[in-house]
Amino acid sequence: MALFEPKNEQKEIKYAEMRIYSDEELNNYTEEELKNFKIKHDIPDLEELEKGPWPSFVSDAKQGALHRRKLADDRMLIDRDVIEDMLGQLQVSFDDGETHWKHGGIVGVFGYGGGVIGRYSDLPEKYPSIAHFHTVRVNQPASKFYNSDFLRTVCDMWEYRGSGMMNLHGSTGDLVLLGTTTEQLEPIFFELTHELGQDIGGSGSNLRTPSCCIGKARCEFACYDTQDLCYELTQYYQDELHRPAFPYKFKFKFDGCPNGCVASIARSDMSFIGTWRDDIRIDQDAVKGYIAGDFIPNAGAHAGRDWGKFDLQKEVLDLCPSKCMKYEDGVLTIDNAECVRCMHCINTMPRALKPGTDTGVSILLGAKAPILEGAQMATLIVPFMKAEAPYDNIKEFIEKVWEFWMEEGKNRERLGELMQRFGLPKFLEIMELPPAPHMVKTPRENPYVLWKEEDVPGGWTRDIKEYRTRHKR
Amino acid sequence: MGTDLPAISAGLSLYLKGDANMDEIKKAIVEFAESSKKTKFYFKDIEKAVQKVVPDAKMRDIKKACTALINDGTLIYFSTGSSTMYGLKGRGMTEDPE
Repeated sequence: MALFEPKNEQKEIKYAEMRIYSDEELNNYTEEELKNFKIKHDIPDLEELEKGPWPSFVSDAKQGALHRRKLADDRMLIDRDVIEDMLGQLQVSFDDGETHWKHGGIVGVFGYGGGVIGRYSDLPEKYPSIAHFHTVRVNQPASKFYNSDFLRTVCDMWEYRGSGMMNLHGSTGDLVLLGTTTEQLEPIFFELTHELGQDIGGSGSNLRTPSCCIGKARCEFACYDTQDLCYELTQYYQDELHRPAFPYKFKFKFDGCPNGCVASIARSDMSFIGTWRDDIRIDQDAVKGYIAGDFIPNAGAHAGRDWGKFDLQKEVLDLCPSKCMKYEDGVLTIDNAECVRCMHCINTMPRALKPGTDTGVSILLGAKAPILEGAQMATLIVPFMKAEAPYDNIKEFIEKVWEFWMEEGKNRERLGELMQRFGLPKFLEIMELPPAPHMVKTPRENPYVLWKEEDVPGGWTRDIKEYRTRHKR
Repeated sequence: MGTDLPAISAGLSLYLKGDANMDEIKKAIVEFAESSKKTKFYFKDIEKAVQKVVPDAKMRDIKKACTALINDGTLIYFSTGSSTMYGLKGRGMTEDPE
């Protein structure tokens, strides 16, 4: 199979050409006006939130509200008061101790079953401008690589066609546009796809927007090209992303190395973590350099205070979780078979230690947040797989997992819950994978991987009657 | 034995064509949606209902049929944001969730 190739060349977004608002319109209030600004509802509890030490969304929302108040009538297509009404309703929710949003509905854009989430106020008479207040998820560029031209263009479009409020970024990495009316959905979709070259993301029982770490673009630890794999699978599984037929949500996330900067192990049904199957590369001269103080440990990441002289024993060897490193006679050695990929030594001495060169991915399955059952971390299912374009081996595995989940999963059952219901041994059998010690999170965690006679050379004989003569029931 | 006639003929047409009959699947989906008391259906429930009538219908074909019915305006998506269901247009569901 060949990799996806876009039909058109990627357009460079130039804000100067795409902008809707002038600088004067964007900066249309003074600090003094903001200080004296009161929204049209009383929001005492929300204003309490502004007094804390951290920047508050309430302050941000007030700025947006003042900005909208001062814009000309024909410079926005949905109600001027959306932000003020949103704040007003939130105050009522605080008073009542319950939400006043209704969620869900039949809104969407043509042909897509996701990316737009219907939101409605259940106090529409009191807060008419947020009676319809739908959310749009915009698929973020890989690794969230976008420039201010792109962002400002999205912001202008959203100010014009929506509330102007955004959440950057949602859990799957989407740019989340908060609050618009049904009539604006198709124009927003058109502008995003045709003008900005950006699709909307996943929601509902879909493949959710795949998300990756910064990968080989900026990081020397990346064991595979996370952006490439993320992009390829996003394109390859467009049908799964936009036309829901899964039992529930399904998330891919791509971490280039076990540092796990997108936390795929905790946040995705299918987590891809870069790894290597050969040995950690060691530059012995650089190790000596760290000991001599020629290089700052952790690449200077913790240089904010004086930690004293670098101590290899205390700061690296003693902290190795499997104690597989030693430094003798000026030589650092690693028992690589015992390495659990904690990345601590590599992070501490990046000049001296590097991941191996025979790289690929580990695939872990079943992480989820605690909506139905409790939260779950992912379980390692494929210890190592090469991750090279066009990724046919990975696609084959994905489809095998989906086939099983779509066949056996109950409505609203996540993959992790299904795996738990079936048990790891049965799941491995279905995936046609042999159980391996790598899959065990902690010793004796799961004692129920049982041998079958055909798995044991020579088999065995078992006489239950004879056994019972020695062991009463 | 015991299999009803439509299922046999559906099976036969699958065998002859090597692919599930799209019109037949579409018809089964609409019939299921119209006969149900519910107004919203999970994909899985649609799949099970279709496979009762067209036993060899593959999940992928049922999804394609659902998509075609969405595109021609017969079916609509209903999404809570976390899970998605299908419904018949104009029956039970308006744009407002209530």
